Amino acid sequence: MAKRIGQGLLLPVLGLAAWYAVARLQLFSPYLLPGPGAVWEALGELWRGGTLVHHLAISLQRVFAGFLLSAVTAIPLGIVCGRSRLFYTYCWFLLEFFRHVPPLAAIPLIILWAGIGELSKLVIIFWACFFPLFLNTISGIRGCDPKWVEVGRSLDFTEGQIIRQIQLPAALDSIVTGLQLSLGYSWRALIGAELIAASAGIGYLILDAEEMSRPDIVIVGILCIGVVGTLLDWIFLLLVKHFLPWRGTKEALHDPTH
Amino acid sequence: MIRLTDLGKTYGSKTALAPISVTFAEHSFTCIVGKSGCGKTTLLRLLAGLEEKTTGSMEGLPRRIAPVFQEPRLMPWLTVAQNIAFAARHDPTLWGGDVPDSHSAKSVENQPKVRSLLQKLGLEHDGGLYPAQLSGGMAQRVSLGRTLFYGPDLILMDEPFSALDYFTRRNLQHMLLQLFNAEKKTILFVTHDVEEALLLGDRIVVLDGTGLKADRPIPLPRPRKATDPAFQALRQEMLEILSGGED
Repeated sequence: MAKRIGQGLLLPVLGLAAWYAVARLQLFSPYLLPGPGAVWEALGELWRGGTLVHHLAISLQRVFAGFLLSAVTAIPLGIVCGRSRLFYTYCWFLLEFFRHVPPLAAIPLIILWAGIGELSKLVIIFWACFFPLFLNTISGIRGCDPKWVEVGRSLDFTEGQIIRQIQLPAALDSIVTGLQLSLGYSWRALIGAELIAASAGIGYLILDAEEMSRPDIVIVGILCIGVVGTLLDWIFLLLVKHFLPWRGTKEALHDPTH
Repeated sequence: MIRLTDLGKTYGSKTALAPISVTFAEHSFTCIVGKSGCGKTTLLRLLAGLEEKTTGSMEGLPRRIAPVFQEPRLMPWLTVAQNIAFAARHDPTLWGGDVPDSHSAKSVENQPKVRSLLQKLGLEHDGGLYPAQLSGGMAQRVSLGRTLFYGPDLILMDEPFSALDYFTRRNLQHMLLQLFNAEKKTILFVTHDVEEALLLGDRIVVLDGTGLKADRPIPLPRPRKATDPAFQALRQEMLEILSGGED
């Protein structure tokens, strides 16, 4: 484990060293590429004043709201579309259309319809999260082995019980992958969402720093998004490991001599 | 008594089971043999209600019927114990009065009925394992356990041991006979292996593409030995019938 962490950190450490060397040798103007020292100082300044935590909290709140909203709509809709070809046939064109339109392209319309408050940001994050989760849910439900469904039928399960006890657990693997992708997408859509007249959030912090000609703060913002996104993904995987313990048992084959 | 009259199944112009008429006594162990495609599996699927018949009738079917499939078909997200008790998710009365606090792996593993089944199947230390961690023989025992937990009056077994190695297969055949003697269920056991049919059944039914080809009692006392001359004579007779000789 420690070895793997070390291996994973090797390239970032080398990158940091190269960054430090380039800044130290002043190969670029500090305005174009502030050194790690300047970025560290900017981080300290933002941290001490509580600014960074404030912006992070606002952004996380938006990410979770969009993510949860997409989860409670995409999963049930995915189950229905996964089970009913007819329903999917009616919906597929509309869904395919919106899947291929990036939410950023619709920002002017979203502002027009949803205003410049929290709702427009929520719409963008929701839009970005919805499709990976929806499509993974459909593929999970459709990928459920019909032989398992047959076991349920042979034991007299009702249709509702087959969905709850067989199709949904069978689709969980795929749904979890969708949730993981959605979480990543929501975090990425955040900057787009905060482009809309935001007064707080990591996206706002970056845009504001751009206007104030503070590339060091821009880099702090980018680093925050990367680090927090990685942490969220890691926490998510820990939760998955706890709640879905059978995942990963495929490799742990039992002693054949048993 | 289960009575099948002219029971048949076709898919379009293709005959999956040519019409057959046959009866099965309660608490009997009948082995159904035949070449691939003769309709053995279709017959079991019709009896299990997994297919609709095209012709004929089925009378005297008990209320609880459960198949044991060729592959174990275990739910990979459930432990061995949870897989065995799977039917209780539909019908809580199957716990037999000892309803566990929850469906969690530990609670189910400690439930008396599950515990007793794990013991009977030689899985007493494996209740907490997941299907991906089981050998083929263990997985098939769990599948049998799931059927026994359901408590069917009629068990339909479709070549359940065909994918297993010789020794595992012998062990499971032995275990099945012990369970049959203890629980006295009606068993229909499909196999393509005449020797397996003669080792296990009270009676052997031979199917071919035109319907019922032979129906013989197996008058040999258990435990049977394949080296016994009477066993060998019966096997020879069955092989001749199967290979197309006159009945």
